[in-house]
Amino acid sequence: MQPSRARLFKEYKEVQKEKAADPDIQLVCDESNIFKWNALIKGPSETPYEGGVFQLAFSVPEQYPLQPPQVRFLTKIFHPNVHFKTGEICLDILKNAWSPAWTLQSVCRAIIALMAHPEADSPLNCDSGNLLRSGDIRGYQAMARMYTRLAAMPKKG
Amino acid sequence: MVSDSVNVSLSSAPSARDFGKKKRTNRTAKLKQCKLDARREQWLSQGVMSGSVKDKGFKDGTNRACMPLVGRERNPPLDALEMRRRGHGIEDNHGSIHLESDSESPSNSPKSILLGGTNSGTNFTGSSSSSSGGCCSGNITEEEENDDDGCLDDWEAVADALVASDNQESRNSCQEQPLEDEPVEQLNSKSSTGVCLGVENLKQEGPRMVPKNPMDNRAWRPDDAFRPQSLPNLLKQQSFPNTDRHFRRGQLPWTCSSAVSVPSSCPICCEALDLTDSSFFPCVCGFMLCLFCHKKILEGDGRCPGCRKPYEHNAMEAELSVHGHSLTLRLACSSSMVERS
Repeated sequence: MQPSRARLFKEYKEVQKEKAADPDIQLVCDESNIFKWNALIKGPSETPYEGGVFQLAFSVPEQYPLQPPQVRFLTKIFHPNVHFKTGEICLDILKNAWSPAWTLQSVCRAIIALMAHPEADSPLNCDSGNLLRSGDIRGYQAMARMYTRLAAMPKKG
Repeated sequence: MVSDSVNVSLSSAPSARDFGKKKRTNRTAKLKQCKLDARREQWLSQGVMSGSVKDKGFKDGTNRACMPLVGRERNPPLDALEMRRRGHGIEDNHGSIHLESDSESPSNSPKSILLGGTNSGTNFTGSSSSSSGGCCSGNITEEEENDDDGCLDDWEAVADALVASDNQESRNSCQEQPLEDEPVEQLNSKSSTGVCLGVENLKQEGPRMVPKNPMDNRAWRPDDAFRPQSLPNLLKQQSFPNTDRHFRRGQLPWTCSSAVSVPSSCPICCEALDLTDSSFFPCVCGFMLCLFCHKKILEGDGRCPGCRKPYEHNAMEAELSVHGHSLTLRLACSSSMVERS
């Protein structure tokens, strides 16, 4: 068995075992392909993303865990480090700062942390980054909240 | 009352500092100590309680109250009874109310024990929010000492010990006398603290408990509804290497606490670590992995997964040349490894 497969099986078991351990993260593996995962994460509280549920798509490379998984947002999100159209995430641990000791679960946690602490100096979403960099916190929050309502919350009625 | 609590905390402070000096340097020694205490408590309380009436034990205790405190520093692991007496002893030494109350009731009836316990319990609660009440004042003294110097990280294990020793006491007292309602009520009123809940629990479950079952040594089972919310997460506790085997009976206390947490499987590839792997420390940060993954990482970016610092190459090459032989051997005999390569 490939090491990546063994490792993913282990993570799958862990996720099954500790489903209640982190209520903000719900990781599910694709039924037919263990290299494809989906995650639902809750927007962190006291951020414009609070109350929203965001879907992430994981694509795990064969060389995992020596190489990081590819993660992108499936849910639209207004965040300086997330590409607004593709959902691509600019996060160091998904690129050069990756460590094989990380797991898919810890990646989810890192993304939640990124949502709470946007890094405006390496923006993928320039509008969002510019709002933050110009100090218009309110503007950023209003936009982010609006998109959270539009895309990440269940429609009323 | 107030002077009481001050006295107790004052008198326990120096020894606590002594403990702290010793223990802070060596955490495992501290855990060992806890365990030793608990085992002695169990053993001695079994011996004394089954052999004698409680009154006698207590009288003995008041005598021992005159025991100098130095002795206790020389020989810290004292049994539960002694602890309890020491609680009185400390108070007596400082000429406090309890001495009077004890001497006022020279019969040394069980009630006076309970009253004393209750009083001191209240005092402790006054002086520290983490203490509990009831008839386990001696144990509280111990716990307070540990709390004072901040060296008690694993306090749930101590709670286990409390229950283990109190368990026996409550069984004994159930045989000899009905439990007084007063301390229980006091406990109920303060049941927000974890230890109290444990004692309360015990009073409900005590008589039913099978004493020899090692699982009963735990204050709370993971699924226990009475387990206080304020306790740290059990999952975290279980991942803590020493907690699980901490108070298991029938094991030498110092054999298991020396174990450092060595993962059983490689955290990268999830294959089991063999003997060579488990003595392989490629990085100063202590992150362990199998030689196979280590080699792969060296071929790649060469940074330790644990601390992300680059592996020191000289040390690594030496390690690899040493272990290279066994690596190929393992490759040959392990089919999974062959498949991987």
